[in-house]
Amino acid sequence: MLDFFAIFSKGGIVLWCFQGAGVSESFTGPVNALIRSVILQERTGNNSFNHNALSLKYKLDNEFELVFVVGFQKILTLTYVDKFIDDVQLHFRDRYKNELEQRGALKFLLNNFEFGEDFHNLLREAEDSSKAKAPASMRTFIESQKSQKTVKSMIDTKDGDKSKEQGGKKSKNAKKEGGDQAKAASQTVSKKTVENGGDGLTAEEIIERNRAKFISKQLGGGKPEKITSKSPKPQKPKGKAKRVWDMGGRNTGDLDYSGSNGNNYSDAQTQDYEASAEPLIQVDSMKGDLKGVDYESSDDDDDDDEDEEEEEEERVIVPDTNKKGAKKGGFGGMFGMLKGLVGSKNLTQEDMEPVLDKMKDHLIAKNVAAEISSQLCESVAKKLEGKVMGTFTTVASTVKLALQDSLVQILQPKRRVDILRDVLDARSQRKPFVITFCGVNGVGKSTNLAKISYWLIENGFSVLIAACDTFRAGAVEQLRTHQRRLNALHPPEKHAGRPAVQLFEKGYGKDAAGIAMEAIAYARNQGFEVVLIDTAGRMQDNAPLMTALAKLIAVNTPDLVLFVGEALVGNEAVDQLVKFNQALADHSKTDKPRLIDGIVLTKFDTIDDKVGAAISMTYITGQPIVFVGTGQTYSDLRSLNARAVVSALMKA
Amino acid sequence: MDEKIHPDVEDFSAEPLLDTFIKEIQKEEVVFLLGICVALVLVILTVVFFGNFWGSSKARNAVLLLGLCDSGKTLLFTRLLLGKFARSQTSITESSATYKSKNDRGSSWTLVDVPGHESLRVQIVEKYKAVARAVVFVVDSSVFQKDVRDVAEFLYSILTDGTVAKNTPALVVACNKQDISMAKSAKLIQQQLEKEMNTLRVTRSAALSSQDGAVGGSVYLGKRGKDFEFSQLPGRVEFIECSARGSKGEDGDVAGIDALEKSLARL
Repeated sequence: MLDFFAIFSKGGIVLWCFQGAGVSESFTGPVNALIRSVILQERTGNNSFNHNALSLKYKLDNEFELVFVVGFQKILTLTYVDKFIDDVQLHFRDRYKNELEQRGALKFLLNNFEFGEDFHNLLREAEDSSKAKAPASMRTFIESQKSQKTVKSMIDTKDGDKSKEQGGKKSKNAKKEGGDQAKAASQTVSKKTVENGGDGLTAEEIIERNRAKFISKQLGGGKPEKITSKSPKPQKPKGKAKRVWDMGGRNTGDLDYSGSNGNNYSDAQTQDYEASAEPLIQVDSMKGDLKGVDYESSDDDDDDDEDEEEEEEERVIVPDTNKKGAKKGGFGGMFGMLKGLVGSKNLTQEDMEPVLDKMKDHLIAKNVAAEISSQLCESVAKKLEGKVMGTFTTVASTVKLALQDSLVQILQPKRRVDILRDVLDARSQRKPFVITFCGVNGVGKSTNLAKISYWLIENGFSVLIAACDTFRAGAVEQLRTHQRRLNALHPPEKHAGRPAVQLFEKGYGKDAAGIAMEAIAYARNQGFEVVLIDTAGRMQDNAPLMTALAKLIAVNTPDLVLFVGEALVGNEAVDQLVKFNQALADHSKTDKPRLIDGIVLTKFDTIDDKVGAAISMTYITGQPIVFVGTGQTYSDLRSLNARAVVSALMKA
Repeated sequence: MDEKIHPDVEDFSAEPLLDTFIKEIQKEEVVFLLGICVALVLVILTVVFFGNFWGSSKARNAVLLLGLCDSGKTLLFTRLLLGKFARSQTSITESSATYKSKNDRGSSWTLVDVPGHESLRVQIVEKYKAVARAVVFVVDSSVFQKDVRDVAEFLYSILTDGTVAKNTPALVVACNKQDISMAKSAKLIQQQLEKEMNTLRVTRSAALSSQDGAVGGSVYLGKRGKDFEFSQLPGRVEFIECSARGSKGEDGDVAGIDALEKSLARL
């Protein structure tokens, strides 16, 4: 039932493979996909991977540098696979221990690994063991525990109290019901209703009853006072009151916005029109003192507080266990330390755990998102488990080195990042190279767009800026100011008589996707080489705005979709990127949706060495960081240096 | 000594210590002093010599197999070492083994198979570039047209690396997978690469500097003012065709790597 099983070295040489009966296609493709997306992207924490119709499970053997991969159809739920892989690994190691302990890569090539017999035996054992467990059959009523209990013991005593207290019609009714049901209780069904009847009187009733008990105790056991039970049901109003709406439908003149759109925006007088075009603004609504923060956001604050408390608890627990561990090792510590330094020993999970926890906290302190840190540390643990340490290397140094390697690996771009080259390509094909900037509010899209256009102009390209931010006040003016400054720095005489930068805008309130389409057509006609599209900032959970962005990207198919994120963001980065990618994937109509192609990391000068946001963003998307913004002037644009970032991260 | 030590005016200057030191030395016999000086000089000389020889003997004993993913490096590695076929997957780590070259001197050096994956190759090349005596750049000739930009970028980044530019190892571009019918010839690949590198010279030098101010690859390939050609490079450059799989398919023992082996023998 397995499609294939392969054992290969980490250097790439297949030692032994098995292909199930009737499987015609080779496993090279899926296994390569597994390697590229899981192992090389440091997601080794989860050990299963789905590729088309196949489900792949794998196990790394770090001592002998082997990888064991098994593939089977996704629809089959085989329960024995995990244990099976472990068994195969142990068996293979034991059998070929001598060959595998040789040094050098030739050991994989010279030796013939005849594993077929053993494999089939193990497979048969595993399949048998999974069949052996018959599904548990249901017990009959006689056998069950319920038939042995008496009826009385099953009745909830809550009912009894209730029948004493309440005044008021409703409660009398409930008491009657409770009483009836108590008598009739002999079957499980009625037991349920008894409980439900008891619970039917809400939590407030229970509070009232408790209060009554308390007060009665206070009064020295006197009569329980009659408490008017606050009935949760509202007083029945006399007849139905007429619902009053805001606008009331009384004045249709208020609803007519036809005069305010589509006029010129550069004149001062038109600012009045634009003010009235702002939706939801009611004059005089902000008079007086500012209102407090809304009810909804206080809920959010509570949630955040709870989360913080949980995190703090976790952090408190971890150092406790660390201290305990240290105390235990105290006496054997002297010799243990020496033993640990000299001679080779295997790394186990327990050895690595304290070090990995410390590293995880260190990463979180450096502004890497919390779940990314834990996934990274799990992945490093999987990679190092069972590895043989050399002499004079401590666990901490090995783990640190492995973590450093994996961080550099994450930051390396997985594809070629050379925008100038791609623009040259587009120029030779006589079509403009379109770059779209998207991101949440206030991250620096417009500023970095201006920086990038400056860089492109310096390299001799002509740029068209499309102002597709039609919501924020002043967005178009901001871009116009940038355009003027850039043209002043690079006067048209130097660029064959035409301005280096031009702004394409259609004012406020219009549809961004339409403006973008017109801008690209204009650029193609006029021979602009690059089109930079500036979009409005939007929160990732604002569904209509995300739909609008996805539509803009799906309709215009830009060459590069850049997500602009600030380096100050912490755990939010994960949420932002996931939701942005999700929105882009959901709302595109094609099979291969355009997702985020690259990341622009802004405000890099504001963080000293808390550079973790770079890791979070590249880990989540797998896309490279194309630009790094380090300030607010035109020359503050850099490319990412993976090594420098990682050394800043690992610095104590 | 009658000096009173005033706690607030304590003078911790090093002079009294030096004086006492010199006095001590002067008290000893001259022979002793001479012996000590000679020993020191010997130690320094040995360290310097070892440093030199170590450096030079460690130097440049490795031949790196570089290339994009799926270009056939691991199979080529197997073929060169053992002459037999081995099925391979994407490499995660590098493999190295000693290779006895087929020339009269019977010299041997280390053959290193570097994984082609983008996230691994840079780190591993960093490790081995100082000891690289030659670079075999493996190119997949059948899909070259599609990947020409990636191939050129990788080759450019290697050639403009500071250490590589200083050591100038020999460059052998092996146009692999010639057994596939759509494979491009070595000459065509050379021309295309030269054109691409020409463009890359311009775009890469205009690329942004990295955030700590370091400008990568300030090496300029070839001659300024003229189109880039591989013959302009200081080291030896060869373009050869080969086929790691061989014309007889998987089980074939005859692989078209004779040209490659001859080229390696000349190292």
